[in-house]
Amino acid sequence: MRRAAIGFLMVSALAWGQQAAKLPTLEELQFPPLRQVELPEVETFTLANGMKVYLLEDHELPLVGGFALVRTGNLFEPPDKVGLASITGEVMRTGGTKEKTGDEIDEELENIAASVESSIGETSGTVGFNCLKENTDEVLAVFKAILTAPEFRQEKIDLAKTQYRSLIARRNDEPGGIARREFSEILYGRDTPYGRRMEYEHLDNIEREDLVAFHRRYYFPKNVMLAIQGDFDAAEMKAKLEELFSDWTVEQPPVPEFPKVTAKPAPGVYLAVKEDVNQTFLRMGHLDGMLKDPDYPALEVMADILGGGFSSRLFKKIRTELGYAYGIGAFWGANYNHPGIFGIGGSTKSGSTVATIRATLEEVKKIRSEEVAPEELKTAKDKVLNSFVFNFDSPGKTLRRLVRYDYYGYPKDFIFRYQKAVAAVTVADVLRVAKQYIKPEEFTIVTVGNPKEFDEPLESLGLPVKEIDLTIPEPKREKAETSAESLARGKELLGKLQAAVGGAAKLAGVKDATRVTQVTIQTPQGGMQVNQVNQWLAPAYFRQEQVLPFGKITVFFDGKAGWLAGPQGTQPMPPPVVRQVRNALLRNPFRLWLADRQEGWTVNAVDERTLEVSDETGESLRLEIDPETGMPVKQTYRSVTMRGAPSEMVETFSDWREVDGIRLPFRAETTRDGKPYAELVVKEIRLNTGLQPEELAKKP
Amino acid sequence: MKLRLRCVAALVLLPALAAAQYLEEFEKRVTEFTLANGMHFIVAERHQAPVVSFHAYVNAGAVNDPNGKTGLAHMFEHMIGKGTIEVGTRNWPEEKKALERVEAIYDELEMERRKGKQADAGRIEALEKELQAAMKKANSYVVQNEFPRVVEQNGGVGFNAGTGMDSTQYFYSLPANRVELWFLLQSEWFLQPVYREFYKERDVVREERRMRIESSPQGKLYEAFLGAAFIAHPYKTAIGWASDIEHLRAKDAAWFHKTYYVPSNITIAIVGDVDPGRMRELAEKYYGRIPAGPPPPPVITVEPEQYGERRVTVESPAQPMLMIGYKRPNQTDPDDPVFDVLSGVLASGRTGMIYKELVRDKKIALAAGSAAAFPAGKYPTLFLLYAVPNVGHTVEENEKALYDIIERLKKEKVDEETLKRVKTKVRAGVIRGLDSNPGLASQLAFYHAAYGDWRMLFKTIDIIDRVTADDIQRVVRKYFVPKHRTVAYHVKPTAEAGEEGAK
Repeated sequence: MRRAAIGFLMVSALAWGQQAAKLPTLEELQFPPLRQVELPEVETFTLANGMKVYLLEDHELPLVGGFALVRTGNLFEPPDKVGLASITGEVMRTGGTKEKTGDEIDEELENIAASVESSIGETSGTVGFNCLKENTDEVLAVFKAILTAPEFRQEKIDLAKTQYRSLIARRNDEPGGIARREFSEILYGRDTPYGRRMEYEHLDNIEREDLVAFHRRYYFPKNVMLAIQGDFDAAEMKAKLEELFSDWTVEQPPVPEFPKVTAKPAPGVYLAVKEDVNQTFLRMGHLDGMLKDPDYPALEVMADILGGGFSSRLFKKIRTELGYAYGIGAFWGANYNHPGIFGIGGSTKSGSTVATIRATLEEVKKIRSEEVAPEELKTAKDKVLNSFVFNFDSPGKTLRRLVRYDYYGYPKDFIFRYQKAVAAVTVADVLRVAKQYIKPEEFTIVTVGNPKEFDEPLESLGLPVKEIDLTIPEPKREKAETSAESLARGKELLGKLQAAVGGAAKLAGVKDATRVTQVTIQTPQGGMQVNQVNQWLAPAYFRQEQVLPFGKITVFFDGKAGWLAGPQGTQPMPPPVVRQVRNALLRNPFRLWLADRQEGWTVNAVDERTLEVSDETGESLRLEIDPETGMPVKQTYRSVTMRGAPSEMVETFSDWREVDGIRLPFRAETTRDGKPYAELVVKEIRLNTGLQPEELAKKP
Repeated sequence: MKLRLRCVAALVLLPALAAAQYLEEFEKRVTEFTLANGMHFIVAERHQAPVVSFHAYVNAGAVNDPNGKTGLAHMFEHMIGKGTIEVGTRNWPEEKKALERVEAIYDELEMERRKGKQADAGRIEALEKELQAAMKKANSYVVQNEFPRVVEQNGGVGFNAGTGMDSTQYFYSLPANRVELWFLLQSEWFLQPVYREFYKERDVVREERRMRIESSPQGKLYEAFLGAAFIAHPYKTAIGWASDIEHLRAKDAAWFHKTYYVPSNITIAIVGDVDPGRMRELAEKYYGRIPAGPPPPPVITVEPEQYGERRVTVESPAQPMLMIGYKRPNQTDPDDPVFDVLSGVLASGRTGMIYKELVRDKKIALAAGSAAAFPAGKYPTLFLLYAVPNVGHTVEENEKALYDIIERLKKEKVDEETLKRVKTKVRAGVIRGLDSNPGLASQLAFYHAAYGDWRMLFKTIDIIDRVTADDIQRVVRKYFVPKHRTVAYHVKPTAEAGEEGAK
């Protein structure tokens, strides 16, 4: 039957095809009007406990799914516990409930191809579920338990913290991610709830009781909206929910408003140096506005003409015409309840970095100074209006939109108001909003790349250039308890050391030192030999020359700043290297062994053989001393790193020889996190040769 | 309308039903036909909303790139944005002449350069200038990005294309009243694509390679891994080598189109609020005019036997990642479903063995998992295991932990509960995939192209159901041997290790 019908169709179509030899051109195409979209009906009501519910029947597939939307967010985290909200959201699910561990729930749900997931973002928390229709009851029970009574088992808190530590360690690996993060943090302000970031130290501060308290504060019925969609009968579902949630009646004071954005413009060019890339990742722009702003529709149209999609000006200019970028675009990123980001982003080969920035700024200038062409406006408006139906192509979209509007206090018909407003936008409106809202003089321009390969120095843009320090702050090492007694013992132990190596007076007599060494460093490719000459001049001048397989590197530091010179030229000392040098200065024996005479330093005894020495910046190390002889045995410190967690370095001394009456180690073996890392053999040490600052500061 | 759908759904999708029953119900909504020129269409009706998704699946991809011209399939795919002889030009006859002139000068330039040391530097310089001028002239006829603009202006969403190892796919969705636009534009482009702005686009593709591979630690590892695992077969690279990309010519792309974009090599799936009779009419009208062509040549090169483990490292200052691949047969091998189930056992959700051991219990990995067929499946390929070590844990620890799991699977059989769970998830996955027009369109086209029948989307459920614990053990023992393994991971750069230790 079906086959016959198809056969007939084919014949008729062929016949028709032969008649119509000429096909219509694009202009000749005629489209019938679009069938009216039927909006699905969402039933809303409030449960006895105060929880608002939205139900939408949808019988296409035998599935049921839903989500609870909770008024909370990481904006409410204490500043020393960044990450608390994310971890709370995650461990609500993984930490299980009173009856079942998270692992048991994993098996139970996956056995029936169902899911329950929980998370907390910036301005909301969600717990969602999805299941086959016949499993609705059991999955709803799990969903409820996780939403209302999570157990927060410690092992899953530890797992989450482990995972976040790795994310911190990996955050400087992909340049695109660095650009996005730095751009957003600079715009919102790094010391505000919108711009702060998670550090190792924050994770150390977060305890189970914090999670319990965070959940208790925000997860209560009146603070929750519950939306469910799928293959069920609404009346039955309503009864089911009343029953299910009847015993959840906890109350809390209303949740306060989210904090206001307080950032000030941060104009200028920011550079994060990544030497292992051959493209520069760019972001530029400033904070913008909210979805409810009356000019939002015009701004959206303007941003679309400037940089939205294939037909935008930036795409045409930067990608199609110049071939500088694969991806380039602009976005007016308005939020519901706080200013979003107006930004332009893309990536280009290192050698066209400045050219791309210039060409982009030129397009920004253009859209602020001339009216757009009527055809451009028509395209941008038609895009929104003709694709409008896709806002309603699944019932779930309508449901989610409705709940979101309610959550943020937007009118139910907001999307239709938007549609109407877009239809009314004129070329004059586009120019007006571009002029009024885009402020090129306030642009924050973030670049992540390798400046050695840039076409021109960033300075040629005529804006201040600031380097972004990508160093990952170490967790403050847990310092040993100090007491008057332990400090006294520390002084005593240090005194023993001073006596053993030749006396404090001898040490104090050393004003400069030159040390020639050969270091063998373990690398995956085998041992690598490095010849070094280190020079120190009191109080904190430092110069190091080292010969590596790929060339010679010289660094100089005067106690505050310095420079670094290599095969590719000389540059100001980057922040991570400054830290490395400060660390080396802390380990310098003529300073460290006289720690009790350095201003702002503390010397504390951890036990009868270990000293903890901290300098004026809080940088510290531990020095182990043989209590019998007073001789240093080894010292433990943390490496400085831009990626990964800092490693624990342990340097063990041997081959003590006397130089000008002072005993110094001529051999040292270093381990990194317990594994052999480097061997140092001293060739020569010269003291008090009369080094001069100018001499040390001489560039190669 | 709504009532009918409700009945259908209730019947079709009770999960306890066998695949045959799902299929029978779903089939009622599907119409299938092949044009005289060999182009195949699958139309699935879904009348929930007046929208339609189109998915064109060309059964040719990076594997078909000739030697020295890797990246060609991808480069050709980029031409979709450049339009047709009608869309994207101010004056096609003049533009055509100008483009031919560009090619003629480029030919001369190439000839001169080939002379090597004997080449005339002055002539090269002159030709280069001439070439620039000719390109400028050709560009003066271009209406930039007109093709995607027309699609977007008409409410098209998700306009995009992708080149894989085995296939190239073009897709977007339109409001249901504008379907004829897709027929007109896409058929015109398949019939006669235009190599407008080809050399600028080549720069863009070069940037894409910088972004995806050269500036990404993960991308570099991916490339090194495939390059080591395949010494002969073109699964080595999809985006192509930088040097090859930089030398691609418009005539290469035209050759690729002529050879591989023959109608019998293209499958089209249409899903949404459409009348299948009308779709057929339009298909005949627009696609019927594309002349039939000879079947494209097959990929001749077969990856030779691997005689020993291959290890490859990538130096990077980034935190390390680990990829392990075992050689396995292609997607039509009888063991293919066994690999799928195995991957489910290893890495599905929070109950997969790899997640449980490496991530959850030992806490040595931030993420870890597997993929049954990597990088693709048409030709003998790899079963992939990967791990992203946690800070403070090494690649070696993770590698060992993965081998421990593999060895255990050789000794002990997977328990029935686990097996059942994996199968249930496969079945539910098929159901969940039915509620998205673009997703469904892509699935239908793929199953037709890969297995000769879209029904395999449903039949997979039964095939998977028949996989036993014995099958898994047999397959692991047979294929997961060190000799057929390739291992790739990041190591710290020599230079950095030096700098840090020295201070």
